[in-house]
Amino acid sequence: MEFSLNGKPVDVGVEPAETVASVLRERMGLTGTKVACGTGVCGTCTVLVDGRTAASCLLPAGAVADREITTVEGLGGDHPVQRAFAEHDALQCGYCTPGFVVEAAAFMDRWRAEHGTIKPSREQIAEALAGHLCRCGAYAGIYEAVAAACAGEHDEGTVTPVRVEALSKITGAARYTADVTLEGQLEGVIVRSPHPHAKVGEIRHDGLLAELLPPDRVVRYVGQPVAAVAAPTKAEALAVAARIEVDYTVLPTVLSSEAETIVYPTEESRKGAPRANEGPLASAKWNGNVRGPAAMSWRGRTAVKRIEKARNDGGGQTLVEATFTTAVQAHTCMEPHGCVARWEGDDLHLHLSTQAVTRVAEQAAKRWKLRPEQVHVVAEHVGGGFGSKVNVTSDVVAAVELSRLHGVPVRVVLSRPEELVDGGTRPGVRIELALLADADGGLSAFTMDGHGDSGVSIGSNAAWHSRFFYGNAPRRIRDYDHITNRAPGIPFRGPGLPPMLWALEQAVDEVALRRGEDPIALRRRWDGNAKRHALYDRASTLPMWRDRTDPGDGRLRRGVGVAAANYMYFLDPGTKVSLTVEQGAVVARIATQDIGTGSRSVIAEVVRSTLGLRSGQVRVELGRSDHAYGPSAASSCSTPSIAPAAQDAARRLRKALGARSLDEAEGLQVVGRRPRDRRGYVTPFPLDHFAIGRGFSGAVVVTEVEVDTLLGRVRPTRVWSGVAAGHVYVPRLARNQCEGGVIQGIGYALFEQRHEDPATGTVLTANLEDYRIPGIADTPEIDVYFHTEGWDHVPGRGVGLGEICTMAVAASIGNAVRHATGWRPHDLPIRPDLLLEGIGT
Amino acid sequence: MTTLEAVAKAVRDTGGELRAGGTDVMTRATRPPVDLLSVPGLRGIVWRPDGSARIGALTTIADLLADDRLTAAYPALAATAAAIATPQIRNVATVGGNLLQRNRCWYLRNPAFTCHQTGGDTCPAREGAHLYSAVIDQGPCIAPHPSSLAVALLTYAATAEVHGRSPLGIAELYGDGGDPTCDHRLESGEILQAVLMPAPTPIERAAYRRATAREMAEWPLVEAVARLTLDGDTITTAAIAVGGVARTPLFLPEVADALLGKSATEETLAAAADLATARCSPLPRSAYKVALLRATLIDVLTACSAPPPPATL
Repeated sequence: MEFSLNGKPVDVGVEPAETVASVLRERMGLTGTKVACGTGVCGTCTVLVDGRTAASCLLPAGAVADREITTVEGLGGDHPVQRAFAEHDALQCGYCTPGFVVEAAAFMDRWRAEHGTIKPSREQIAEALAGHLCRCGAYAGIYEAVAAACAGEHDEGTVTPVRVEALSKITGAARYTADVTLEGQLEGVIVRSPHPHAKVGEIRHDGLLAELLPPDRVVRYVGQPVAAVAAPTKAEALAVAARIEVDYTVLPTVLSSEAETIVYPTEESRKGAPRANEGPLASAKWNGNVRGPAAMSWRGRTAVKRIEKARNDGGGQTLVEATFTTAVQAHTCMEPHGCVARWEGDDLHLHLSTQAVTRVAEQAAKRWKLRPEQVHVVAEHVGGGFGSKVNVTSDVVAAVELSRLHGVPVRVVLSRPEELVDGGTRPGVRIELALLADADGGLSAFTMDGHGDSGVSIGSNAAWHSRFFYGNAPRRIRDYDHITNRAPGIPFRGPGLPPMLWALEQAVDEVALRRGEDPIALRRRWDGNAKRHALYDRASTLPMWRDRTDPGDGRLRRGVGVAAANYMYFLDPGTKVSLTVEQGAVVARIATQDIGTGSRSVIAEVVRSTLGLRSGQVRVELGRSDHAYGPSAASSCSTPSIAPAAQDAARRLRKALGARSLDEAEGLQVVGRRPRDRRGYVTPFPLDHFAIGRGFSGAVVVTEVEVDTLLGRVRPTRVWSGVAAGHVYVPRLARNQCEGGVIQGIGYALFEQRHEDPATGTVLTANLEDYRIPGIADTPEIDVYFHTEGWDHVPGRGVGLGEICTMAVAASIGNAVRHATGWRPHDLPIRPDLLLEGIGT
Repeated sequence: MTTLEAVAKAVRDTGGELRAGGTDVMTRATRPPVDLLSVPGLRGIVWRPDGSARIGALTTIADLLADDRLTAAYPALAATAAAIATPQIRNVATVGGNLLQRNRCWYLRNPAFTCHQTGGDTCPAREGAHLYSAVIDQGPCIAPHPSSLAVALLTYAATAEVHGRSPLGIAELYGDGGDPTCDHRLESGEILQAVLMPAPTPIERAAYRRATAREMAEWPLVEAVARLTLDGDTITTAAIAVGGVARTPLFLPEVADALLGKSATEETLAAAADLATARCSPLPRSAYKVALLRATLIDVLTACSAPPPPATL
């Protein structure tokens, strides 16, 4: 078939069933065009066909015969839109970026032709980019970039990207795991259980096959991996997989934890249960399918007594009792889980989409009985993680085992349906809360029971986190896991906190309302955290808050809500950064990864500014487990671990250089370590590499919503996000991440929900049309404010902010809806049906 | 180049499925596709002497929106087309494909399930997850019809020109929704060639509204099209249709009748919208759609009974 590709004629043989996306990626090697959903919803695969955009994952190859195709590579890297994306940091992980860039470039060209350099409105930009999804939520930067490009602000001049790897992501050159093709590589696919609960017997297959079963050979949810096979192409591998016969002895399905059948009947099987929390698991008893309570109480009996007494005799106190629920939320990173495994003798090489190169290398060494130095993990670019890519997952096991069996490299990349079923979720939680304010309005006590709907997982710990918020008033805190035959919950950006705050921060709001007190003023009284005090003070002066008005009783009603968040400060005290002088530049190397959060840029900025260099004189190489030990991108520990280590390394290099210039010091190498915090850590020694530092980060979010009371839609219009995480190393990137945290919080509050078939637990929201993540049009105007004081005991004076920035967003929306409508939502997401029912239309 | 007859024969011989833009067919495991794109003469808009338009079946949604004469002549069709999917889908998806696409039921599209649609004898949605299901019960299947264009075309009383049979009205194209196995009534080998629009109504007021959770790019929970003409304050003609609530797109003459001869007050519109809910028999978790149907009708009727905004530059 002949067509024109990026201005050049090509002639290529294609299969009838092939898509244009597949031809571009697999036959032409143009991997800038990504495939993230495969159903035309997300826009990552967008190309131009005769100058008009199309989703190439839905285009039959034959449809472009004799036509002109332009991919992101064909834009040349110098299109004003590409320059603008770099300057405005309109990206994070970069996986959706080529699609956005192609669409935005087409829009800009059309806009200029019709309107010259007038700036398009936000609505016009949203209309044009409605077919693109960014899971990191870089929409605020995208609005800025597209408007500026249309206005002619980026037609010429040198581009100075804020994010050091921006240009490679914007041009499609950045290589992700799904883009890796090695000589002789096979494609692996995973055979999954069609049954919610079954014992697996014989697996009949006349070729090589890797089993992926737990030791007891029991599958416990629909979609659980059973085995994997490989073939030269994905289509062939799927065909092979379809021929495999698996004997299942079906067991009774547990879809409520009250069922008689026990999902984990033995001590041994419980040990294999996946975990939804990070760090050590709080001890708890098992009772059938319920694990709990995991208690975290402080004067729990006193708390219960006070609340019982208040129930019987109010005595001028304010008691708020309510049950709140949250839905199961999927991570659904734009780059799916994927691994390319290759054995070289006894050395194992992995290209991996991971947020933890060192941790996964350690786990892999243990699992395949190798010495640590025999495992080499590479994650050059990672298309999002959000907590779902911190372990050896089934894609890794499948690729490694198949590669060993076949003796060639094997690539396993999950499809979007697999990703949405088995790629990870935040457990749903039901929280029963009683919150008591004494007659003077002080926090008297609370009780909080969290019931995690975590499928086959344990450790849903939501209530747990309420121990550390609002001082030391008595509190009884209990967490329970309710085990069912449904896909597992795993850690997700601030595990446990968004659901806990959904409950707590609405109850606090309710106390303020009943007392007739300003909700910010009440929080300021209850909350002893000095850093959040600064945020409360600032928030209370915002015009959006100060001038909030009666929403009235018209169709559209505006309301403003506030919510706060509190999070522990984690770091990896073992972090090292090596610096080497190479050809007049300084190259920083560390075994960490950049999943879109900006770790490359933080290291580059610290090294550059400490040594007084130009940006071109520093290069950062990360994403390799072979480098100096670095942290996982988890628990917001990256920045407070890597930045002080990079600074230490830079100081050592300065000393080692003495009076020499870089050109005179070729090959000079130093290794910097993460200096200890003043007064040390809460944890006497690191647990699984993590230490808990002293102090808590904080956030205060003020959100304005417009509620359409006719059609039941909630539209966040403005968000102020105040974050107290100390010094901000690269402000534009930090802002981007906080804006993304707001977007994910909006998704959690309003749209995102895993739906299942109630009879089997089969996930029905197995595509990005039914699983609804926010689009660019759902983006409010976001104002991010950083309070940077209060971390003098931390070298570099800054801690992580990737999680604190998202936790309170949903609760602020709940409080805003309450203000707008008089009805308080208790269940997430606030779908139109729930809103209409709630406000009583 | 090929001919309609050759394509029709290929479909009959292979048991294949017609493919136009492919934006629906490519997302499903289907019978072998038979491509229509190489048939000449099916794309584009032709104006006939009486001022009416013939819209070729392979005309894309974007083509509709790019044609100023068409959007002026048929404002309800234009407003509907503008709300469909996303720009890169509208660039490829065709009018014919939109009208004849498969529904989006999440049980139908999940290979783990069989149902009435795929030769089974159950509807897992009825007993199971039916949050987005139809609330006007027309038969064993409760998947709402996905075509937004059909809702608009119903209000225009447009006609489908079909290769292999005589022309039929849009309502006839879908029948009564009683057959769960198909989303339209064309037989294998019958091919939609064009949509014939009636001559435009000079000063109609028209609107399209959809209820969704997100701002854009989402299949509607409920959608509605209204076309009114007014003489002063008095409604003189009305055509109303809805989608998202039944196995077929639905024309609602009872709502239109309740408006005729009345002035477009809030009470009149609400009373007319109320009539639509009489047809509904929702399931436990889809009951909200009854209220939403009424609300969407009020929204769309309000939008097209208000005086048109002054022309802007």
